[in-house]
Amino acid sequence: MKNSGAHNVKKGILGLFMNLVLWIFSLSCIFPIVWMVYSSLKEKRAFNANIIGLPTEPTLKNYTRILTNSDYHLGESMMNSVRTTVISITLIIVFSFIVGYILARIRFKLNRVLYVMFLMGMLIPIHSLLVPIYVVFQRCGISNQWYTLLLPYVSFGLPMGIFLVEGYVKTIPVSLEEAAAIDGSSFSHTLWTIIFPLCKPILVTVAIIQVFSCWNEFSFALVLIKDVSLQTVPLALTQFKGQFASDYPKQMAAMLITMAPIVVLYFAFSKQIIKGMVAGAVKG
Amino acid sequence: MLNAIKPKNRTIVMYLLIPVAMFVFTVFVPLVTALVYSFFEWKGGPQKTFNGLDNYIRLFNDATFWEAFGHNIYLVVACIIGQIGIAFVLVLMINSKLVKFKTIHRTFGFFPSTIAAVCIGLIWNMIYHNKYGIINWFLEAIGRKDLCQVWLNNTDLVMLLVTIPLIWQYIGYYMVIILSAIAGISTEIFESAEIDGANGFQKALYITLPLIKNTMLVCITLCIAGNMKAFDNIFVMTKGGPGTASMVMAMYGYQVSFNQSNMGYGSCISVGIFVLSLLVIGGSQALIKYITREKEA
Repeated sequence: MKNSGAHNVKKGILGLFMNLVLWIFSLSCIFPIVWMVYSSLKEKRAFNANIIGLPTEPTLKNYTRILTNSDYHLGESMMNSVRTTVISITLIIVFSFIVGYILARIRFKLNRVLYVMFLMGMLIPIHSLLVPIYVVFQRCGISNQWYTLLLPYVSFGLPMGIFLVEGYVKTIPVSLEEAAAIDGSSFSHTLWTIIFPLCKPILVTVAIIQVFSCWNEFSFALVLIKDVSLQTVPLALTQFKGQFASDYPKQMAAMLITMAPIVVLYFAFSKQIIKGMVAGAVKG
Repeated sequence: MLNAIKPKNRTIVMYLLIPVAMFVFTVFVPLVTALVYSFFEWKGGPQKTFNGLDNYIRLFNDATFWEAFGHNIYLVVACIIGQIGIAFVLVLMINSKLVKFKTIHRTFGFFPSTIAAVCIGLIWNMIYHNKYGIINWFLEAIGRKDLCQVWLNNTDLVMLLVTIPLIWQYIGYYMVIILSAIAGISTEIFESAEIDGANGFQKALYITLPLIKNTMLVCITLCIAGNMKAFDNIFVMTKGGPGTASMVMAMYGYQVSFNQSNMGYGSCISVGIFVLSLLVIGGSQALIKYITREKEA
């Protein structure tokens, strides 16, 4: 009895310790956001006087100033990011589906060649393309356009998408397509009306992974986009850093505005998002 | 066997043309271009002069480039230990029956990995700031004002300081990956180990770890690939400075190409980054395979 009592105490301390550690970790992960949210409601002077305290006179001035002043281009940047992300995701989904399906199912001469090529796309250290892509795009006169970023974003997203789709299609019985073909369904008809709906789960996974990487991508936007009116959100934020060097509440407000879509998306669908990201990481 | 569903060649070509052309144009064309220009002296203008292996000889003797490479390796090692190590420990804790609110820990912990590296860098800039930063505020609050400093200007500490946000950002990411791998292990194994008297530590080391070996290898590979391309955080936080104290390869390539507009040498550096990254990733893979094979034998 005594022994088990000591055991229980030991267990209790261990449990307390583990819970404590995990809470410290979890809270540290969202603390910066919380700090930013309430600090962005302060005026610069109030923040500089006390960086950690809650706002005594909460104000939305920082937000209204950023959003109404067109010199900051924040609204424009948001639009650019939304457009780039939406088009990229759509293209990645369509192309991954087509290529993934064909590589999984259709035998033709170049099948293996293409397979290896896209596999190499996954292995190639993308960041070594930063300068070369700039050179090529500059040459072809396609840098600094509204569609410029679509090319790298779609191309870099494709390999993982293709392999996820390819793996998924292989789990679908071929007899399905054979039956459809015998019933007189054309290749395209079968592809879009039978296979595409079946692949929805994996395509959602692909979309989840790519939404975050497109929205957050910085380095290629940095080298390929020069016009302020074309810049995406991460690029706009680095500009703010210079403009509001000493005005933290304003910087924070700007960051929160740009993070808002991602944060809302994340906390609304965190379960699916975590699942999708893990599947992508492990299978990809 | 697939003849029934095999479409005409023309149909295949039509479907594949755009994605394949796009992919080749954005990935392979630049690679080849970089290789070509790496043999030229080219300052970005119309004039290019072929200079053979000069760029490569220069790269080979370029102390800054190798320092940057060293910093990439530093990041890789620190992040493997910091991210995956801490994540594994946290996973063991989360899986304990004594811990509640598992979903909250998972959701909160994963959150930073969804935020742009640029934002993370900016946030940590604020945390490190000498006047309005949390670190100095905290030091002041505990009466150690003497330790306050302009953190990111400290040459000795700067690598550590830019690594901390990186580690912090991705602990939750690896935690979730490892958690999902462990969820796949049958609970019977743990139960029978418990009956045999294995303690938590033994279970972790002799049961969990070997069974999730493949997942751990995936994590390590992701970690290596992710840190060889470190750029965003560094660009926002230090631009490689002070001096070259936190320079990484991608940052150096960027500086040479765009600040010094030395496109020829920049291309050469890109080729260098390409080769070194592949070597490190491939080498580590081979090493891991070698080590794990020896254990099995």
